[in-house]
Amino acid sequence: MNLVFKALADPTRRRVLELLRKGPMTAGELSDHFPVSKPTMSAHFAVLREADLVDVQKSGKAVIYRLKLSVLEEALLGFAGTFGMRAGNARPDGKPIALKKGTTP
Amino acid sequence: MNVRQATPYLVCAGLLIAVAAVAKYAEHNHLIGPDIAQRATLATGGLVLAFYGNAIPKSYCAWRNPAKAKRAQSAMRVGGWSFVLAGLAYAGLWAFAPLKTADLASTIVVASAIILTLGYTIWAYALCRNSDVVTQTNADG
Repeated sequence: MNLVFKALADPTRRRVLELLRKGPMTAGELSDHFPVSKPTMSAHFAVLREADLVDVQKSGKAVIYRLKLSVLEEALLGFAGTFGMRAGNARPDGKPIALKKGTTP
Repeated sequence: MNVRQATPYLVCAGLLIAVAAVAKYAEHNHLIGPDIAQRATLATGGLVLAFYGNAIPKSYCAWRNPAKAKRAQSAMRVGGWSFVLAGLAYAGLWAFAPLKTADLASTIVVASAIILTLGYTIWAYALCRNSDVVTQTNADG
């Protein structure tokens, strides 16, 4: 379960899971939604695979990712998105939002 | 599914049998009333249904066609959610509702989940077949 929480803690990975809700997508199609480097996206995919939240199929040269969330994991994803951790609040490059001076985390 | 993956489900099945056996034993020895034994067994059954439903969207899907994979994924999600909610409602009804109400309402809840899941799956399958026919017709014409 720790792996699942770790995977859901990151806004980019949550956004990947939200995109996969629409249906299976190739690694390239998913990467197009994020202005980050391919190695960074590969690392995110690896974390999701490790947590068993996505399924991977190879079709020729393409790597197809499919959502593999249990109902509980999907509910956790919903909670993570609802309580101030929505993927839209993240910076487009997937890095954490910098705090303003004088604010505390 | 290998042995490691099957273990939680076998444990769940064992739990259901154990709860039923303990409840029957306790009832036979007048430790609990017959209604408590019935409620405990059926509420556990509801929780087991929710546990099995939770795993439905995680089950293996081998569609190569992306359109079919998408439909299969959405059908499994609908099935998973409906069985989890039905299982929890079933357990709640048998735990807290009056026996007559629980008897009727729990049947309706589970039957609704089955009908919803089957209906959605058939609808999704029909959409896939129609898209195949359209694709075939376009290819022929």
